[in-house]
Amino acid sequence: VADPRDEMVDGAGAIRPHWRELLALTASLGDELQQRADRLARAAEEDGLAAFLPSGEGTAPVWRCDPVPLPLPAEEFAPLAEGLDQRARLLEAVLADLYGPQRLLAEGRLPPSLVFGSPAYLRPCRNLPVRGVRLHFYAADLIRRPDGAWAVLADRTGGAHGLATALESRKLMARVLPELFRPGQVRPLRPFIDLWQDTLPRLAPPGRANPAVAWLTPGLGHPRWFEHVLLSRELACTLVEPGDLTVRGGGVFLKTLGGLQQVDVLLRRLDGRLLDPLELDAAATAGIPGLLDAARDGAVVITNHPGSALLETPGLIAHLPALAERLIGETLLLPQVQPGESPSTTPCLDGGRLAPRQVVLRLFLVHDGASWQAMPGGMARVLAEGEVPSGPLPPGGVCKDVWVLAGERIDILAPAPAPMPPLKLRRTAGELPSRVADQLFWFGRTVERADRAARLLRAAGARLGRGGAMLPREMAELECLLRCLVEAAILPAEAANAATPAALAQALRATVREGRERGAIARLFAEITRLTETVRDRLTGDMYATFTAALRAAREDIAAAGSSLDGLAHALAGVQRYSASVAGMAAENMVRGGGSLFLDLGRRIERAQAVVAEAAVALDQPPAHGEIGLRLLLELCDSSITYRSRYLAAIQPAPVLDLVLADAGNPRGLAFQLVAMHGLLGELEGEAEEAQEGLAATPAGLLVLGEQLVSDVLAAPDQAVAAAALPDRLRAMGAALAGLSDRVTRRYFALLPAPQALGRGETAGK
Amino acid sequence: MKYRLRHVTAYRYAESVDLATHLLHLEPRPLPHQQVLAPCIAAAPSPARAVRRTDTFGNIAVWLFLDQPHAAFEVTLQAEVSVTFPPPPPTADTPAWERVAALAREGGPDCWQAAEFAVGSPLAPADAAAGGYAIASFPPARPVLAGLLDLIARIRRDFAFRPGVTSLATPIARVLAQRAGVCQDFAHLMIGGLRALGLPARYVSGYLQTRPPPGQPPRRGADQSHAWVSAWLGPADGWVDLDPTNDLIVRDEHVVLGWGRDFSDVSPVRGVILGGGAHSVTVAVDLDPL
Repeated sequence: VADPRDEMVDGAGAIRPHWRELLALTASLGDELQQRADRLARAAEEDGLAAFLPSGEGTAPVWRCDPVPLPLPAEEFAPLAEGLDQRARLLEAVLADLYGPQRLLAEGRLPPSLVFGSPAYLRPCRNLPVRGVRLHFYAADLIRRPDGAWAVLADRTGGAHGLATALESRKLMARVLPELFRPGQVRPLRPFIDLWQDTLPRLAPPGRANPAVAWLTPGLGHPRWFEHVLLSRELACTLVEPGDLTVRGGGVFLKTLGGLQQVDVLLRRLDGRLLDPLELDAAATAGIPGLLDAARDGAVVITNHPGSALLETPGLIAHLPALAERLIGETLLLPQVQPGESPSTTPCLDGGRLAPRQVVLRLFLVHDGASWQAMPGGMARVLAEGEVPSGPLPPGGVCKDVWVLAGERIDILAPAPAPMPPLKLRRTAGELPSRVADQLFWFGRTVERADRAARLLRAAGARLGRGGAMLPREMAELECLLRCLVEAAILPAEAANAATPAALAQALRATVREGRERGAIARLFAEITRLTETVRDRLTGDMYATFTAALRAAREDIAAAGSSLDGLAHALAGVQRYSASVAGMAAENMVRGGGSLFLDLGRRIERAQAVVAEAAVALDQPPAHGEIGLRLLLELCDSSITYRSRYLAAIQPAPVLDLVLADAGNPRGLAFQLVAMHGLLGELEGEAEEAQEGLAATPAGLLVLGEQLVSDVLAAPDQAVAAAALPDRLRAMGAALAGLSDRVTRRYFALLPAPQALGRGETAGK
Repeated sequence: MKYRLRHVTAYRYAESVDLATHLLHLEPRPLPHQQVLAPCIAAAPSPARAVRRTDTFGNIAVWLFLDQPHAAFEVTLQAEVSVTFPPPPPTADTPAWERVAALAREGGPDCWQAAEFAVGSPLAPADAAAGGYAIASFPPARPVLAGLLDLIARIRRDFAFRPGVTSLATPIARVLAQRAGVCQDFAHLMIGGLRALGLPARYVSGYLQTRPPPGQPPRRGADQSHAWVSAWLGPADGWVDLDPTNDLIVRDEHVVLGWGRDFSDVSPVRGVILGGGAHSVTVAVDLDPL
């Protein structure tokens, strides 16, 4: 006997009309359906839905899209949208009362403990001034009851997650299963996002020209990080973390390279309790001190209202039918789920066959300034075995694209966009949040550091792996490489002193080891993975996909290195390929003057430091070994071929040093990095208001020093002796570069000291 | 009684503070039985922005924003305050404590605001152990004020006043076990115990006059911030302030700063600073009769 609560099959065992066409199309795919499901999963991974954990240990739970959508006929969706509009109006009225006069409590319509005992009731947020509405964004979970009617299971007013998953599922479905879509049959989601975006500037405090709207996220590591990145991009607002914001003079400002920029609207996706450590959480120092003061002054609009999660307090929902009569004078249109009711089922692909699975439907609404608008679509969550339908949205699982079928077309009619003054043209990095610039800088440095480590390790591995006894020259080269590796903190000092070639090979292989005693290369890649995620909102979707695909390939190579030197060489080649692809992507696809500038600056400083450090080690040789060091230096700078073509085989100090230190045409040489740095810093300082520090003077000075070094060697009666005296001068240049990096950090990234809480521990009445 | 009140809080920082935000609950709130004359808050360095508002409990709160680097911060309150709290109602006339608890549970007109103080809060949860201690003062049907007076007498008798053995992080169950603490601990303990019985109780922040009346023993907790409890006797009799540290009904030796669910709602000077390194704080309070 068919269960009447199946989406596809009615109580009499017949296929419901709106399923017939979809089912026929699905059936026509046959076994192909499973392959499409696999492609959906792969595409989701490539798009970054399946972001791997920052630590690189295992993967985060992800949403997998089932290939069979959940269709909703127009005549079924319209009353849902109407019922949720009413519900949103009611919830707004409840919120207005509980954070205002509290008449519902004075009249005894709600038990006081329900409100006063809720951790989501934020006392400092009572009587915050309001622009329009307290709730701006709202989601509801619904299930179908035995009588076929949809009933509300839960209201989501705090985070209201899942919209990004819904948008992503639609995109993937359209890409992977285009034949299921008939033109004009499924209502698109994009108009809803456009409408939302149009409403945002109108939330701003009055009198703000070109309001700045920021999406406030807890930051990387939050289970909804992907959602925050995607939606902030869709809505074209800046993604900010609490640490990016500061309150000055009663206003809220974003710390950018160009100074402080006022923020007018905060789309809050941070737990309200973490907004302002001064007033909310006695123990916290995270958050934005003074934010609530600014909100009380009307200098910034925070939406949803900081205390909106109060509406999700367990026990409140049972009172809503009565409150509807009292507050809006209406009877609730949508029924609410009663205890013991379970969701309806819908066909899902499972092991190559369709099987009925329970689903919870989540719909999303936005207030457009005049009324509530429901997105014609949503997220249908397929319940896992034993999963509670009323629980919060898990970070991953199986979901379905929700199709609202176009009946008579009802398009969302947006109110005409408010007239905006023309935008000022900008071509600078000024608007880049300081934190993002900081992360891009370190991303550049870390990728380059990994590249350098791979280069040194490959050179060392090649000499060890040749088999047979090493020649004295090779032993000297190896010894030199090991010193470079120890100085760069890639090998521990004791490993470099290993007595036997086997022990040494073991130490080299340990650099790619994962797990508890993670090696240097593995550590660098964990850091690269983390930084890639943190700068994600600055990368286009394609760039992110390319970066992560290359990163994943490199990490797989590293994981597969095994225990042979050959496997290590293969892994290290992967590291170098990754580094090259980052450089190429950044050069070709990132807007100049934006974040790419800092990425490039990071790479240049790192590479310049590497060249002088390696030169200092290579030249620090007994005179008899001088040529060995020079030859190695050419190899490490990829310059052997260039050298041979210029000077044939004769190795002499001055020409080698010229190529490595002073020739601005050698992309692996020092001068090339210094010229690039000079240009980048000049570009940056041209934009800054105060350029008196003259950061660009440092690379200019080092260029002169490099030339001087080479001409001193050239003029010396014995070049070998002169070259052997250079390491101290080279190390001084390295120190100047490190100093430059510190000054860039202080100047542009405005590293703030750690916040401290005061007045929470002093005991009264001692 | 009329007093001159002066409360100085001084922070010294090992390193420069770049940015500081302070929230003060330092200005005594005017009450029907407490007049506050010429209150004045002075801060050094002077803040870039100062805002004075009323908080959700009706207390006066002041926000100070300092955006210039500084190595010290000092804030001083001065005011003249005259207080004469009326005597409490006759003990036997107050309602049975169970009735008061029921009214707070139900809420509704006249009772809903008191109900906020019957639920637990971070530093004064409705703690079962504290409730177990308090219940001995509340046999069935006892008038609520009789139970309260018995409870403050027991706390005064059972607990040693010993500074330094507790901090704000000390849970009230520990205070109960070690039978020692300071006024803040006794207030939190009593509030937690009353809430466990369903009775509304507020944490009152304020001061106690420096010298006791002639012929009286020295008071505990003078010369510093002081804390006591305000308990609800039902809608007819309202709130009564009781000092469990000194076993006193508050009449004219105390000055009220403000009240909340516990200390964290009315910390006199709190703040979030950027930088500063290690810091030290000194507090001096004078409450002298005029």
